[in-house]
Amino acid sequence: MAHIVVVGLNFKSAPIALRERLAFPQDSWSSLYPKIQQQVGVQETAVLSTCNRVELYTSTDNMAAAPDRLHDFLIDHSRMTASEVKPALYTYTQPQSVQHLFTVTSGLDSMVVGESEIQYQVKKAYEHAKSEGATGKYLNVLFQKALNAAKSVRTETGIGRICNSVGTVSVDLAQKVFGSLKGKSVLLLGAGEMAQSTLKRLAIRGSDHIAIINRSQERAEHLAQQHGGVYYLWHHLEEKAAQADIIICSTAAQSAILTKKMVQGMMQSRHNRALYIVDLGVPRNVEVSVGELDNVYLFNVDDLQKIADKNDLQQQQAILASQKILHRKVEHYLNWWQAETSRCAPSSWERAEAS
Amino acid sequence: MIQIHIIFTLLSYAIFLVACLAGVLFLVQERLLKRKQVGSWIFRLPSLEVLDNLNLYALGLGFIALSIGVLFGFLGIYHELGYWWTGDIKQYLSVGLWGWYLIVWWIRLRSTLRGKRVALLSVLGFTLVLFTVIEAGMWQSSAHPYVDTRV
Repeated sequence: MAHIVVVGLNFKSAPIALRERLAFPQDSWSSLYPKIQQQVGVQETAVLSTCNRVELYTSTDNMAAAPDRLHDFLIDHSRMTASEVKPALYTYTQPQSVQHLFTVTSGLDSMVVGESEIQYQVKKAYEHAKSEGATGKYLNVLFQKALNAAKSVRTETGIGRICNSVGTVSVDLAQKVFGSLKGKSVLLLGAGEMAQSTLKRLAIRGSDHIAIINRSQERAEHLAQQHGGVYYLWHHLEEKAAQADIIICSTAAQSAILTKKMVQGMMQSRHNRALYIVDLGVPRNVEVSVGELDNVYLFNVDDLQKIADKNDLQQQQAILASQKILHRKVEHYLNWWQAETSRCAPSSWERAEAS
Repeated sequence: MIQIHIIFTLLSYAIFLVACLAGVLFLVQERLLKRKQVGSWIFRLPSLEVLDNLNLYALGLGFIALSIGVLFGFLGIYHELGYWWTGDIKQYLSVGLWGWYLIVWWIRLRSTLRGKRVALLSVLGFTLVLFTVIEAGMWQSSAHPYVDTRV
C-alpha cells in the first residue's frame, strides 16, 4: 500500500548554515526525482526547498525502510557527517505526513505564521514535480488537497491578514488610509530603529519621495541612500511636512515638534488631503490634539501596541480555527486514500486465483 | 422624452446610492480609526482614499445623470402642456435635489471639504433622494404616482 512519507528539516530544527548545505536549487530538481526514486525506492517524489525548509515528499510501498533511506540520501547530499545532520531531521509517516504538508501549505508552520508565500512555493514544487512526471495519483491528490485547504484556511479565518506587531500594524494602517502606497510621500523625523524598520516596510509597499530630517546627518544620509530618499536640514521641517502623506516621528525631543497649529496650516496647504502620522517618540513628538483634526490620522506607540496585542489574540483564535479546518481536510484525504487503496488492493479471491 | 427622463433620473438615484454606501463605509472606518478601535476585519474593507474617490466619481456621474433626467422632465412637461412649471411637489424636490448635489460636487471638486464631511453630505443627499421618491409617490396630486392611488 502506498504511504506518504516526509523527511526534512526547517528553521526550527536546523540553523541556516545547515539548511543552506541541504538546499536544492530549482535547476537540480529534475535530476533529483529519478535519483531519489532509484536510491530510496519510492514511487512518487516532490521536493520543497525554500530558505526556511528543505523537505522531501514521497509516496512509497515500503514505509518501514523509506525513512532511513531518505535520511541517508539527505546526509549524502549535505556532504556532512550523519551525526551533524541527523539530529536536525524530522520524519513523518502517514497520517502525520499528510497533516504536515497541510500545515506547511497553510502557513501555520512558517516563521511568520499565516504568511502566504509558502503556498506559492508549495504550488511551484508540486507543479514542477508533476511536469517532470515524478508524482502520481497519491502525491497529486495530496498536494491539490493541501493547496485547496490552504485557500480555505486563508479565506475562512483571514489568518494572513492579521498584523500583530507594531511595525506591521503601522504600515497596514497607512494602507487602510491610502489604499496603495505607490507614489505616497514619506517624511521621517528622527531615524530611530523602529522608524527605520517602518520606513523599510513602507518602501517595500511602494512609498517613494522619502525625505529624512534627523539631528545626526551621517545616519540620515546613510538611510536616505539605502531607500532612495533625500536628507534635509531641520529648518525644512514645515515645508517637508506639508508635502508628506505619511510622517513618522521618532525624535528624542522633549516637547512636541508638530503642534496642532502647524498641522492645521499644513492641512490647508494640502487641500485637506489625508495625512497619516505615526508618533513613535517618547515623550510624544506630536501634540495629542493633532489627532482631532479632520483627515489627520495620528497613532502613537501605545495605540499601535494595543492594536497589535488585540490582533495577536485574534491570531491565536485564527490559528485554532485553521487547525480545525485542516483536521477536517486531512480526514477527507485519508478517507479518499483508504477508499483508493482498498479498491486497488487485490481481493482475497484475486490472490487465491494468482496462487 | 419621458422615457429618457425616467431612465436618467433612476440611473442618478442608483449612482447616488453607490455614493451613499461609500460614504457610510467611510464614516464607519473613519470613526473607528479616530477612536483607535481597529479590528482586523476593517482591513477587508476598501481604504479611505478609495472610498473618498468613489464618492467623488459617483457624485459627479450621478449629478450629470440627474441633470439630464431633470432637463428631460422639464422638456417633457413643456412638450405636453406648453409651459415649464406645474407646481408639482416633485418638481420642487427634484430641483432642490439637483441644487444640493451641485453644491456637494462643487465643494468636493474645489477640495474645500474632503473625507468625512463630504461622505456625510453624500449620505444626507441620499436621504433626500429617498424622501423625494417616497414623499412624492405618496402625494396624491403628483404627476409621479409611484404608489397607485386610483385603487
